[in-house]
Amino acid sequence: MQAQINTVQKLDAVILSDSKLKNYASGIKIEKLTDSVLSKNAMSLTNLLAFNSNIYFKENGAGMVSSPSFRGTTASQTAVIWNGININSQLNGQTDFNTVNTSNYSSIDIRSGGGSVQYGSGSIGGSIHLNNDLNFSDHFNTTIKTGYGSFNSKNLGFNSSFGSELWTANVGVTYVDSDNDYKYLGTDEVNENGEFNNLNMNVNLGVFISDKDILKLYHQSYIGERNFSGTLIGPSRSKYEDENFRTMLEWSRISGEFSSKVKVVHLHEMFKYFENKDKDNYSLGKVNTLLINHNFNVRFNEKLQFKTILEYSNSIGNGDSFEEPVRNAFSATALLNHKPNNLLSYGINLRQDFTTGGERPFVFSVDAGFDLFEHYQIQINGSKNYRIPTFNDLYWQPGGNLDLVPESSYQIDLGQNFNYPNFNVKLNGYYINTKDMIQWQPDTSNVWSPINIGEVSNYGVELEVKSHYNINEHQFNVSGHYSYTVSEDLETNKQLIYVPFHKGNLALAYNYKAVTVFYQHMFNGDVFTTADNLEGRFTSLNGYDVGNMGCNYTFFKNTKNELETGITLQNIFNEVYENVAFRPMPNRNFNIQINYKF
Amino acid sequence: MKKIILSVLSVSLLVFSCSNNDDDDTQLPLGDYDNGILVSAEGGQSASVSYISDDYMAVENEIYYNVNTEILGVYLQSIGFNGDLAYIISDTANTIIVVNRYTFIKQAEISTGLLTPRYITFLNGKGYVTNWGDGTDTTDDFIAEIDLNTNTVTGTIAIAEGPEQILAKGDNLYISHKGGYNINNIVSVIDTTDDSIETITVNDAPDEMAFDSNGNLVVLCSGDNRDWAANYVETAASITRINTTTDTVIETLEFAAGLHPSQMAHDDDEVYYAMNNKIYELDDDESTLPTTSILEIADIYLYGLSVNDDKVYVTNASFTAQSELLIYDLDSSALIHTFNVGSGASKIYFN
Repeated sequence: MQAQINTVQKLDAVILSDSKLKNYASGIKIEKLTDSVLSKNAMSLTNLLAFNSNIYFKENGAGMVSSPSFRGTTASQTAVIWNGININSQLNGQTDFNTVNTSNYSSIDIRSGGGSVQYGSGSIGGSIHLNNDLNFSDHFNTTIKTGYGSFNSKNLGFNSSFGSELWTANVGVTYVDSDNDYKYLGTDEVNENGEFNNLNMNVNLGVFISDKDILKLYHQSYIGERNFSGTLIGPSRSKYEDENFRTMLEWSRISGEFSSKVKVVHLHEMFKYFENKDKDNYSLGKVNTLLINHNFNVRFNEKLQFKTILEYSNSIGNGDSFEEPVRNAFSATALLNHKPNNLLSYGINLRQDFTTGGERPFVFSVDAGFDLFEHYQIQINGSKNYRIPTFNDLYWQPGGNLDLVPESSYQIDLGQNFNYPNFNVKLNGYYINTKDMIQWQPDTSNVWSPINIGEVSNYGVELEVKSHYNINEHQFNVSGHYSYTVSEDLETNKQLIYVPFHKGNLALAYNYKAVTVFYQHMFNGDVFTTADNLEGRFTSLNGYDVGNMGCNYTFFKNTKNELETGITLQNIFNEVYENVAFRPMPNRNFNIQINYKF
Repeated sequence: MKKIILSVLSVSLLVFSCSNNDDDDTQLPLGDYDNGILVSAEGGQSASVSYISDDYMAVENEIYYNVNTEILGVYLQSIGFNGDLAYIISDTANTIIVVNRYTFIKQAEISTGLLTPRYITFLNGKGYVTNWGDGTDTTDDFIAEIDLNTNTVTGTIAIAEGPEQILAKGDNLYISHKGGYNINNIVSVIDTTDDSIETITVNDAPDEMAFDSNGNLVVLCSGDNRDWAANYVETAASITRINTTTDTVIETLEFAAGLHPSQMAHDDDEVYYAMNNKIYELDDDESTLPTTSILEIADIYLYGLSVNDDKVYVTNASFTAQSELLIYDLDSSALIHTFNVGSGASKIYFN
């Protein structure tokens, strides 16, 4: 047992860049979407999570800016973590989920609830983890993916992983392009000015430089160009170009019960907004961040481990709406995980930040998992979390407010897990209270400016069901989610806009030999679009049901050269729906994929 | 199939006016939305027009949608009135929707030849619309000429950056150049007989204009208070009076540093302006700015101002929820009514 744990621990340190996601999360609900789920879904992170998680998305029309609401929190209260590093924009505090292509990741984890101690600002509702695992074994696998679909949508991708026990590399390149000129159902209009294309490239390398030392290099590039589409109530001529470059060099050393990692990270984000795509005038914003992270892990024995993390970051902004703001931040974190017996595992975690220009809260979290019976586990966690003001909040001219304090949030989360060999159910209830919410409002001289004003309570229940059965060669997979979410402004006692009380989804898949057939269904309940919670054409949106179905056939299955073909029909019921007011979503459409593996 | 909603209230109003038939001045209402207040709302998400009857008994939001089952384009910048028609200008949507001002039944739509249209005025059977063009382009601003019979743009007159409000007098058009995304400091005068343009330099950010009881053009210049702008220098706000015969500035009443009024209205022989949620009154014959206000408005986001018949109408704009229309009585300084109106309510008109 001891040896096995050691091996697992060592393997974690070798393969994962973010082992704390696994080893310091006894009481935390984590849902893992593996590469088999990733490969069956549309490549945008928005669609993947909308159909396969409890998270609700607000999408400004297909392919446009997409922001999550995790447990009823705001987009800037959901952290996106790339191989252990928080990559939410310094400018607006969010990640646009339509800029992340899922096909270049080994797995994606959805970590529910507060995680500011481990992941810093914005981890209030939860965090989404994009993981690139490194495979240190003799292998050479390559996949070429091509696809074509409605609205002249094209995609082309290449993924290759190769290496030995001493070194490994994987490369993923994906290009997506669409005219995106879908019909506005029930009108004679189409989605105009909605064209988009983007390129995602991931390169990850790992090499053992001694039997204890591993060097890893992670890199991710995103380059996107989008026109911002029109709406039912106004045309659009604008264009948006954005890019993200992320590079991380990591040196990890494993020596018996000690392991340490030093990471040096460079994050670059840039956008250009063209009010008129046919002209050269644009407004620009960019931030470069340099981050140095050291973490040190000690395993006193198989029951007790302790980790410290020190991180320094320096962000320099530049753009048309502010001068050249600089933010320096330093944080010190301590994590402890203890498994006193087979029934109980608990963790205590502390973090203190220090930042130029502004107080930073001291945050903490405690979590525990109780394996009460063979098939029944209880998870509980409580934490204090925060979301720091963004560069836009602080420095935007006009309006930026240097006196802002971070949003701060307390929460508690209680989960029950029923685990059977073919059947898993997770049922969670949570309560989150967030105060000093940053909201932009007109000030006395009619200039819009952010202030710390709001206080919001989120509470709700989440259900996650997963099941798989194999009968001879027939494989059945079922996965479903339901969430009931209240997100209440405590000043007005109204539900926050764009938070549905009810959201659910269901995915069914059947596989027999070379054939796979699947069906996905998503239900989003009614949402209010104005703060006064009025029902009506101009103040709320009706709930909707969207169904996708598809089938895949694999030629030469189980040989070295597999040829996988598939067709997917999206929105098969041709549901007329808007996810954001006056921005209709696509009508029924199809997509054909051909993937060749060798 | 146009659906006309006759509210019970206007029926009762009708009955009431019929019962007073011995009074020959009585006129039947010309439509559901006659004899009332129209409040246009830019829209946080969707633009709209609200109606409140003069007796405050009938209130209806989204009247354009209710009559035409069609959504107005964003952002509703202003409405111009000419005869029985109202011209609803949506700047981002680059459209003008023409409706009967009393029934709000759509008559026409002008959707070509406009680029960020702002305000309209009428002269000698034509409509003239100020257009910013591209917000980021300082050289493409223009006045669009509208043929009112065909509702088409029949010509354009190139003009300086950021034309905002537009008024007509004689054969002349007066245009305040607030500056669009920038700041400008001129009033343009177009002689429509030959389309020649003269410019009159005023203080920074001229916006609201009115013809006063002496026949002068009164312009409210807010001054530059963009303290975030690069190389920023605060400039004085002013109320400037322009002689419309000679098209020259008669007098400039400058505000002290730090004071930047934002809205202006004119009624009878008084100018009313709003500053820091207080309303000030300036007589047309007075050459000194008042030092005390005549009315203190509640702590609101004061976004629109009109004055009519000794009542002050202001909007408390919300862009995330419904706005409010607040009505104050000038004699008693009392708030006499509050109505919920559309999101981003900005202009108050009397129908």
